[in-house]
Amino acid sequence: MKLNKTNLEKRLLKNKIFYETIKIFSYALLIPLALILFYIIKNGIAYLNLDFFIKMPAPVGETGGGALSAIIGSFLIVGLSGLIAIPLGMLIGVFLAEFKEHKINNLTRLAVETLQGIPSIIYGIVAYAWFVMPFGKFSGISASIALALMMLPMVAKATEESLKMIPYTLKEASYALGANYYTTIKKVILPSCQKGITSGVLIGISRILGETAPLLFTAFGNAFLNFNMAKPINALPLLIYNYASSPYQEWHQIAWASSLFLIIIVLGLSIISKNVIK
Amino acid sequence: MTNETILSIEKLNISVKKNKIIKNLSLSFYKNKVTAIMGPSGCGKTTLIRSLNRMHDLDKSFKVKGNISFGNTNLLKADPILVRQQIGMVFQRPNPFPNMSIYENVLAGYILNGIKLSKEEKDNIVDINLKKVGLYDEVSDNIHRKGSHLSGGQQQRLCIARTLAMKPKVLLLDEPTSALDPKATTRIENLINELKNEVSIIMVTHNIEQASRVSDYTAFLYLGDLIEYDTTETIFTVPKDKRTEEYLSRKYG
Repeated sequence: MKLNKTNLEKRLLKNKIFYETIKIFSYALLIPLALILFYIIKNGIAYLNLDFFIKMPAPVGETGGGALSAIIGSFLIVGLSGLIAIPLGMLIGVFLAEFKEHKINNLTRLAVETLQGIPSIIYGIVAYAWFVMPFGKFSGISASIALALMMLPMVAKATEESLKMIPYTLKEASYALGANYYTTIKKVILPSCQKGITSGVLIGISRILGETAPLLFTAFGNAFLNFNMAKPINALPLLIYNYASSPYQEWHQIAWASSLFLIIIVLGLSIISKNVIK
Repeated sequence: MTNETILSIEKLNISVKKNKIIKNLSLSFYKNKVTAIMGPSGCGKTTLIRSLNRMHDLDKSFKVKGNISFGNTNLLKADPILVRQQIGMVFQRPNPFPNMSIYENVLAGYILNGIKLSKEEKDNIVDINLKKVGLYDEVSDNIHRKGSHLSGGQQQRLCIARTLAMKPKVLLLDEPTSALDPKATTRIENLINELKNEVSIIMVTHNIEQASRVSDYTAFLYLGDLIEYDTTETIFTVPKDKRTEEYLSRKYG
């Protein structure tokens, strides 16, 4: 066999161009992220101080103030969403991975995948129709349900994928020691999947933490400090939405600080979830 | 030589869909002896050993008929959970539980069956069984670490310790050394020799030398039929059937 030298050079050049193109585009992707971070840090860092965490928003015209009610509201709403979505999502994930022969397995998978693709505002409208209209008031609970529905498919998928990675021999080992199905799942299979499920949960949380659209129809926002989930409640994305579109300079500052705070949490969660997998 | 029977198979038939894997097989295993089940690939030896502690239940396509008596009970009619507590099994590939420490792995049978033990009882069980499999000195410093950093041979001995901790009457070994190096294999073989004083051992092996080294009795299976069953010495020196002889001289495998 004879190799033409010019041909070889051409191929090497092609290879190099391809390689460099990939590199350029990967670096290019960093630019928008860096710009977003830079812009938010530049505008928000000065106001992300202790006051931000411990003070209520100041009335129009007064300087200072913080986002206490929104921070508390966000954590309450997301916390309740997690309480609903994590156990349910894990059960659905176990069903998807374990009962492949079951007649509604494919239907369930289709439902989970469809839920994943539904725009977040639809969740808001649905929660509004189911929980806000019948009770006649906006509430933190209805927001939690909307966000839980968003988080559910992520937890279910993460559980299913991690369960698939568990070798069958592990299950056999558990049965061979006399364990039944329930204990095998609870004490061997799910704990062995802990990392995958945790990372799915963290990604789910960081996704719903910044959701605004569903909250407009459900949590609605509240000018006062509120711990009651049955009442309208404030949240960070709502605060950003309301304050950023207001004409007041002080409110813009709080909105910037809130944006920075949200981004820090989301970045943190995504770094943690990456390390969890390792 | 009189031997006490521990397990007795009568007219066992196992089939998957239309395929007969075990054909009308009858065989008695003896107490405190090591019995090797040998035969070429696809002869049904793994299916046979898995039926002894009802592992075939996990796959609904297996149809099992016949009788396996263990004392006064027919194992095929008993509750599989009770069967598996009496008849332990160690698999081809070491499979310690990755979510549990070495300590918890030894106690896994108790943990999974929800049996409560005091701290002393636990320590005792772990110490005794790790010593039995010769793992105690090797791991005693990091007994509360995960078992997955151990070598393959150590993991397999941990799996044996985990099974022994349940005090089974019968220990099933399904090609326990096929995934291990020669040194680890020798350790497991020596261990099998030591263990037969307290438990009756039935092992499947692909390794003819291994059967001759460790077993007291050998059963030779061919295409689902029991061709020959006798003391290992007899089988290896004066096999009655031509197929056994040919297998032992590696004409096929």
